[in-house]
Amino acid sequence: MAERPAYTEVEHTADVGVELVAPDLGTALERTAAAMFDLMSDLDRVEERRRVAVAVRGRDGDLPNLLVRWLSELLFVHESEHLLLCTFAITRLEEGVIEATVGGEPFDRSRHDPKVEIKAATYHELRIEEVGSGWAVRVIFDT
Amino acid sequence: MSRTTFEMRQVSDCIWEIPVSGGMRVPGRIYADEKLMPHIREDKAVEQVVNVAHLRGIVSRSLAMPDIHWGYGFPIGGVAATDPELGGVISPGGVGYDINCGVRLVTSNVERERMEPRIRDLVKALYKEVPSGLGSRGAIGKLSKHELEAVAIDGAAWAVRKGYGTEQDLDHTEERGRLSVADPSKVSPRAVSRGLDQVGTLGSGNHFIEIGVVDEIFDEKTAAAFGLGLNTMTLLIHSGSRGFGYQICDDYLEVMQGAVSKYGIDLPDRQLACAPVESPEGKRYLAAMACAANYAWANRQVMMELAKRTVARTLGSKPHKLGLSLLYDVCHNIAKLETHEVEGQRKTLCVHRKGATRAFPAGHPDVPGAFRAVGQPVLVPGDMGRFSYVCVGTGDVMRETFGSTCHGAGRVLSRSKAKKAAAGRKLAAELDEMGVFVMATGKATLAEEMPYAYKDVTQVVDVMQRAGLANKVVRLRPLGVIKG
Repeated sequence: MAERPAYTEVEHTADVGVELVAPDLGTALERTAAAMFDLMSDLDRVEERRRVAVAVRGRDGDLPNLLVRWLSELLFVHESEHLLLCTFAITRLEEGVIEATVGGEPFDRSRHDPKVEIKAATYHELRIEEVGSGWAVRVIFDT
Repeated sequence: MSRTTFEMRQVSDCIWEIPVSGGMRVPGRIYADEKLMPHIREDKAVEQVVNVAHLRGIVSRSLAMPDIHWGYGFPIGGVAATDPELGGVISPGGVGYDINCGVRLVTSNVERERMEPRIRDLVKALYKEVPSGLGSRGAIGKLSKHELEAVAIDGAAWAVRKGYGTEQDLDHTEERGRLSVADPSKVSPRAVSRGLDQVGTLGSGNHFIEIGVVDEIFDEKTAAAFGLGLNTMTLLIHSGSRGFGYQICDDYLEVMQGAVSKYGIDLPDRQLACAPVESPEGKRYLAAMACAANYAWANRQVMMELAKRTVARTLGSKPHKLGLSLLYDVCHNIAKLETHEVEGQRKTLCVHRKGATRAFPAGHPDVPGAFRAVGQPVLVPGDMGRFSYVCVGTGDVMRETFGSTCHGAGRVLSRSKAKKAAAGRKLAAELDEMGVFVMATGKATLAEEMPYAYKDVTQVVDVMQRAGLANKVVRLRPLGVIKG
């Protein structure tokens, strides 16, 4: 079983968002992905039974874009492969590039607790920046 | 949450104007009364009305309906028309991720007395037959890519061809359930892959199927024209274009990020990314968006047919014997090229309705023949515990709001706050007490969608009526609901 990641839910009138801090950028990106899937279904009930390799390209010098593309790619894998993802390991992180291996299992109503479907990760009030203690991220999702 | 305040003038009982300042090209206008205004001021929706007024080629005003709340880029409840001849833009943010999210209403001759004792069976049967919730799929089997292309081109007509419904349903659907500018070659393979097994599925969030009854009639003549008899059963279906539409929006937000720099467009919010309607990027988005709109109409058409069959079977009858027929289907997340009069001139405008409903009045050529004498039915769902309304556009609606009105109640509590308010409460039992039997896939969904999370839809439609935009025809009371 995966662990539920540490994050705070952000108040937003019609939708839901997450805020978190992590020691480095890679961990911040991994943890944001975990938080997004935890909003859909508690991650401590999801197992890594299958792995998928993902590669994401963003615009140069545009970290918000890279973050949105990363989360969008995972939502695409979730819907097209019918997988609830729970593990996220970034293997390469460079300017405008993320390569990662992500893992999860098919959604199973008898074991998983469905919460809400996430339509997309938005740029709305998006924040990804270096702070004293590491990296801070805020993303609002359309639900 | 930091808020910027803007000068707002109350110009009449239900109209507030935001004068042009900074980079605004036109004024903003919010339809609301003294009771709704405090809710509207609570988040950043007003700032978004102002931001939309910055869009290139925007005509007349940046408009907000009384159910306005904080969205992305555009407020939900926002209406903006741009003039392509003046370099007017089209913005995926003015449509939303759920392209052609919309509502349809089915009327019947089933009396409340016959249906109410069976409400639990009806809700359970619908819950079983119509896939809902996280990852819902497989209502009618997986489509081939070729078949999905046909859905994207033909919309609701595709579903009818496959045996889901009748030709008459198309007459009772906005745009006859098909935007002809659709071009599947403008849709990414990823969107196609997400769309293959979701036709006929409800999804999650605020989507629902609601069994209700006509509870009060305000306008006898129009109600009769709409086939809405007092105490008869109705089915209200709210859903959109599912993953197919979300992916198309996502893909084109990316395209528009490039267009913004290419065309030197200056925007106050990145989520408003856009391109001129007449540019290659604008045309491509319009063609892809139309594919998603058509998908949504096919989706609601299939779901409606599944729901009609299920209800009839549960009541031991046939859909036609119960008089189950589609009153109308409206979209409330869309951008369309429409003809409107601006300062005495007929113009083709790109009208964005994000969380707003088309409300073309009596006599308008786009209103189907059956309703032309009274006006197009306008469907305004409320929260699941209180009411929904059927309204009709008035004579002024074309001039005032490009033929648009509100789309629902509008939230007052964030999803997180709604969940906190639900702690320790037995929500399904509370709703049961209110006379509404609910089945929901996600526990969180139920908490987030409780009546207290929404404005009172009655206040919203009353403002529309007092502002002279749309009149109430009937009120619907929910008795059973399925949610994702």
